[in-house]
Amino acid sequence: MTKAWRHRLAGLLLWALVAAAGAGWLAHARVEQLRAAFDTDARIVHRLLSQRVVQHDAVMATLALLQPPVPGAVADTAAASTLPRLPSVYPQILAVLQRPAAGAWPAAQKAALDAAEAASRRSGRAEMALADLGAGRYHLVLAGTPASYALQIDLAATVPLDEWPMNPVTSPVRVALERAGQSFVVQPGRRLDRMGWHFSVHKLLASPSQPLDVVAERTVTPAELPWWAMLGWCVLTAALWAGALAWWRQRVARQRAEELLRLGQVARLNTLGELAAGMAHELNQPLTALLASTQAAKRLLGESPPDLDTAFDAMGRAVEQARRASAVVGRLRRLVERPDLAGQAHPLALPAAVQDVLHLVEPELQQRGVALVLEAEPDLPAVLAEPVALQQIVHNLVMNALQAMEQVPAAERRLELHLARQDTGQVALTVRDHGPGIPAEARERLFEPFYTTREGGLGLGLTLCESLAQAMGAQLWLAPAAGRGAAFVLVLPVTAQAPAAAHPAAPLHTPVLP
Amino acid sequence: MTDHATPLSPLIHLVDDDAAVREGLALLIGTVGLRVQAWADPLAFAAGFDRASIGAIVLDVRMPGTSGLALLEHLLKQGVDQPVIMLTGHGTVDMCRRAFKAGAAEFLEKPVDDEVLLEALQNAVRQHVRSRERHQADQQARERHAQLSAREREVLGLIVEGLTNKEIGRALELSPRTVETHRANLFAKLGAESLAQLIRRYAALVDGAP
Repeated sequence: MTKAWRHRLAGLLLWALVAAAGAGWLAHARVEQLRAAFDTDARIVHRLLSQRVVQHDAVMATLALLQPPVPGAVADTAAASTLPRLPSVYPQILAVLQRPAAGAWPAAQKAALDAAEAASRRSGRAEMALADLGAGRYHLVLAGTPASYALQIDLAATVPLDEWPMNPVTSPVRVALERAGQSFVVQPGRRLDRMGWHFSVHKLLASPSQPLDVVAERTVTPAELPWWAMLGWCVLTAALWAGALAWWRQRVARQRAEELLRLGQVARLNTLGELAAGMAHELNQPLTALLASTQAAKRLLGESPPDLDTAFDAMGRAVEQARRASAVVGRLRRLVERPDLAGQAHPLALPAAVQDVLHLVEPELQQRGVALVLEAEPDLPAVLAEPVALQQIVHNLVMNALQAMEQVPAAERRLELHLARQDTGQVALTVRDHGPGIPAEARERLFEPFYTTREGGLGLGLTLCESLAQAMGAQLWLAPAAGRGAAFVLVLPVTAQAPAAAHPAAPLHTPVLP
Repeated sequence: MTDHATPLSPLIHLVDDDAAVREGLALLIGTVGLRVQAWADPLAFAAGFDRASIGAIVLDVRMPGTSGLALLEHLLKQGVDQPVIMLTGHGTVDMCRRAFKAGAAEFLEKPVDDEVLLEALQNAVRQHVRSRERHQADQQARERHAQLSAREREVLGLIVEGLTNKEIGRALELSPRTVETHRANLFAKLGAESLAQLIRRYAALVDGAP
């Protein structure tokens, strides 16, 4: 795994951790909030129900005080006549029963009510009897003297719906009243057996006479978690993460750009240094020759008798070298400023221009024993070129070819120049040498500035040629390796116009860059 | 270019890859009567120049194929005794130090002024001539010393130490007359005209003798 991928994975893990922690906290907060609400609701429910059942105790106590004034009155009828208004005031009280002083509880309920009465008499407070919590019914019995009373309670009506803290139909909380395995469901709530967080509260009603267990329960299911908020958090952190990453990348990129700029400046300084060193050498050679020649001439003229002939020769050489130095400076100037050659291009005859250059280099050809082959297609159209630049390019190519052939025996030195019409209608000049050729690794870099295969070479000759060619709409390239030696092709645009003059501008001596 | 030089005048070897520089410098050097042989290729020069010639070598530092400094080191390793004057287009202190360390006699910057170059060349030539003479004298002395007999060498050693004939006789258990004969032979064989000359020329050989 690469370093970058390790970094990316670590970043992803870190983000996942942050996102999960945030989402977990949100879920936890929601669950806690629901738990608090549930606890509050359960407390309210407990208080409300307690208040209501305590009322039953109060009613019973009141009934106990309302003992019938006439002992021996008929129990059922008397009770029915004195107490019918109670259920209308308290809807949860379905019926009021009285056991008169000498009478007995109704036969159907006698046993249970007797037992409850006995228990009440022992405890001194009301007691529950005949509890049927499934139906929400029970009796409350208070033993009294002479008469005892019993109330039949309807639990459903006991629930104070007007004060109820929840919607009994839709609330997810299940509330029930339980006692001895029986259970009255106040509100059903939602199913409790699902996966999730389970809350429950058990608390006895605050009435010793009716010890019903208030059971509130609910289950918070995953569906109740704040998924949108959690998702939002994940998206937010991802966005922040991506933003931070982008910012960081941008910073790195900016730093890199600054570094590159600095390097570029250094490279440019180095290049300038190289250029200066190369130019210093280029200028020093003619200056050395110039100084030596003029000083020699001075000495020769100072002799008695003066050696006029040799001094004359020396001065001739001095003039040549002064021109050479001037050409170096001119080349430097051309190298630094790119002239708009396209604007100065005009029609000229390529064979004549090539002949002019060959005329210039003829002494070199002879000295090196190079055989020259010049082949020109007949009736070539005039080309569009800037004469001096064209001359310079051709001169450079020819000098390069000559230098390339220094390493081969004189008998094999052969310089070929072909002038031919291209398929595209343009005219191509091919300069081929019979030297050792150009090594594969050098072919690609040949036109790069300061790239040279010659020791002590500046590496600007071909660069200059290429930029000169491009500046006047021509192209220069290295022909694919074939046979021996190297071949450069200069392709020039043609024009229908006739050449302006048989002879272009006066030949300028332009020595090749080393 | 050799109009002003006689065949026996010192020969300067000029090595520079630039034809114009070669021609100009050769012409200038020729004006003071020195002969010049110019070389375009440093390797051809190293292989082909006349090592017995009296004179000096002028080397361009920057040349194709081999650097002037490398050539200088090569020449000195080969035992070439001509003084070497280095010429450079843009000499750095470091290059200069390297050249002197390698044994260059002079280090001059191009373009070089005629008086500077010519004076350096004449100094170099004089230095070479003296060194050759000294070398020649040493060679002659060694050859003559080799002709002495074992007894004559013993006598020479004691003479150089400053002993008189009598003392030498005692030391070698020879009669003073025999010592006198050896002494006469010594002077004749070594070609010495005086005791002082004898001691000056041969003291070094005695010390070095077994």
